[in-house]
Amino acid sequence: MSLIRTEKVCKSFGSLRVLKNVDMHVDEGEVVCIIGPSGAGKSTFLRSLNQLETINSGKIFIDEELFLHREHNATVEKISPEKYKSLLLEMGMVFQSFNLFPHKTVLQNVTLAPINVKKVSKADAEKKAHEVINMVGLGDKINQYPSQLSGGQQQRVAIARALAMEPKIMLFDEPTSALDPELVGEVLGVMKKLAESGMTMLVVTHEMAFARDVADRVLFMADGGIAEEGSPDVLFKNPKNPRTQQFLARVLNRD
Amino acid sequence: MLKKIKGWFYPVTKKLIIILAVVAVVLSSVIILAATKPSINTVDSRISTELKESSGKMYAQATLDFGIFNAVRGQNVKNGKTETYIGIAGDTKKVDDIWAEPFADIVFWMPQLLDGAGTTIKLTITSVTVGIFLSIFLALGKISKFAVLRWPCSAYIFFFRGTPLLMQLFFIYFGLPLINPAMAIQDRFLAAFIAFTLNTAAYVAEIIRAGIQSISKGQFEASKALGLSYAQTMSIIIIPQSIRRLLPPVANEFIMVLKDASLVSMIALSDLTHATRTISNSSSTVLVYIPAMIIYLIITAVFNYIFNKLEKRFSVYE
Repeated sequence: MSLIRTEKVCKSFGSLRVLKNVDMHVDEGEVVCIIGPSGAGKSTFLRSLNQLETINSGKIFIDEELFLHREHNATVEKISPEKYKSLLLEMGMVFQSFNLFPHKTVLQNVTLAPINVKKVSKADAEKKAHEVINMVGLGDKINQYPSQLSGGQQQRVAIARALAMEPKIMLFDEPTSALDPELVGEVLGVMKKLAESGMTMLVVTHEMAFARDVADRVLFMADGGIAEEGSPDVLFKNPKNPRTQQFLARVLNRD
Repeated sequence: MLKKIKGWFYPVTKKLIIILAVVAVVLSSVIILAATKPSINTVDSRISTELKESSGKMYAQATLDFGIFNAVRGQNVKNGKTETYIGIAGDTKKVDDIWAEPFADIVFWMPQLLDGAGTTIKLTITSVTVGIFLSIFLALGKISKFAVLRWPCSAYIFFFRGTPLLMQLFFIYFGLPLINPAMAIQDRFLAAFIAFTLNTAAYVAEIIRAGIQSISKGQFEASKALGLSYAQTMSIIIIPQSIRRLLPPVANEFIMVLKDASLVSMIALSDLTHATRTISNSSSTVLVYIPAMIIYLIITAVFNYIFNKLEKRFSVYE
């Protein structure tokens, strides 16, 4: 069963066509990594899924239910606000720039959405928060403000914040790109742990080693479309598309 | 960091004990002085009979009950001779020192000056408070994606920032009754309050708009991804963060309004500036400007102190 499925998703910024008929799916329990050169539309695609970007046309299905259907820059089939919200909350999002709430402590960052959106009681929200904060290994930082944490710690809090909403799928938008090199490992470690726990994940990343080790499937995006996809073994060792070969030759030689 | 927030109200320190001791000493001396001051009649009886006899039309007398002292001043209008007596701590003293006279003058002006200052403070605080309340809606309206809200709010802000406050005040006090007598606002303070509130709302709305737009887009995106509604995003995430950035310009606006409040003398409302000018004219003295300016500076200093405290309070997380 696919948790996310898209059909012919198109998106332009003015005259620039960023996404061209993207068809893809993520199955339950699967870890899918999207790699590709900058400007390929990877982030835009990920952000379109939870409507941080509005697509021009195409269909998005969440958990096999229609989430969004647009044609010619207008929504064709409207879904009820309750349905919209429940499907939106099946996705948890982790941003490149963390986007923690700086005026809230770690605990407040994590409990804020469950309390205000899901209307969970404060006690239950805090119980869940302790669980996810311990899972990302920051149990001792619970009452600190984001500004007192390192970048890697902040990103782990951001992961905990998304997990506290109990999403079915986690979206990661280049989660380690804004980090100092020595802090990348701790974030990838948490993500790996999450993948091992069976979480469905869609990860836009430049960390080829992570994609190779953790992903079940890798999508290579170029020029607004999926140029090639396959298991990491196949895609990294025997890329068929010349664009993939070119890209991998460049990034892997750097390692 | 967290301790700091709690400690804002009650750090039981040496400093607090010293402050309490000083307050206790001052309070008890005030009580003792107030209890032992000679009655106003005793002080009054010392005014020379000559001045009293020439009373009738030629005699002006002022008495002052100031809590810790009583003071009486008599002036012989014919020859301009003045006698001032101050009764304090069980004793009555005649003020005839060339250096003490100006202080006696200032003391006798105080009720009028403080009354004016009261009007100034009342006008500033009420109009800025209500103005800030209105400005939140104006600011949210101006950045709204709905043109129905955006246009009127933008037009309002443009109008009130683009025309002089004095003209707005004149329009409300003198202009409205000319349109329809039923629209006349008799109470001068009310007219001034309306003009100042409408004007402040426009200025603070721009401050708030800039504050909200200075919050990074990522905060909106994270809120949206977590399913927060627009109202929740604004009230829980965006506005609390912008308050810290809003405080310095809002403090500035407060002080601007405090000083602009002197415009109300143009509709004969007696604020501090108006009172100062009245005293200066009637007593032909320039001396009264000194206490008046000091009162303005004290009010400003108090505002500054409060806003500095607030700023520290709201920047604990930085």
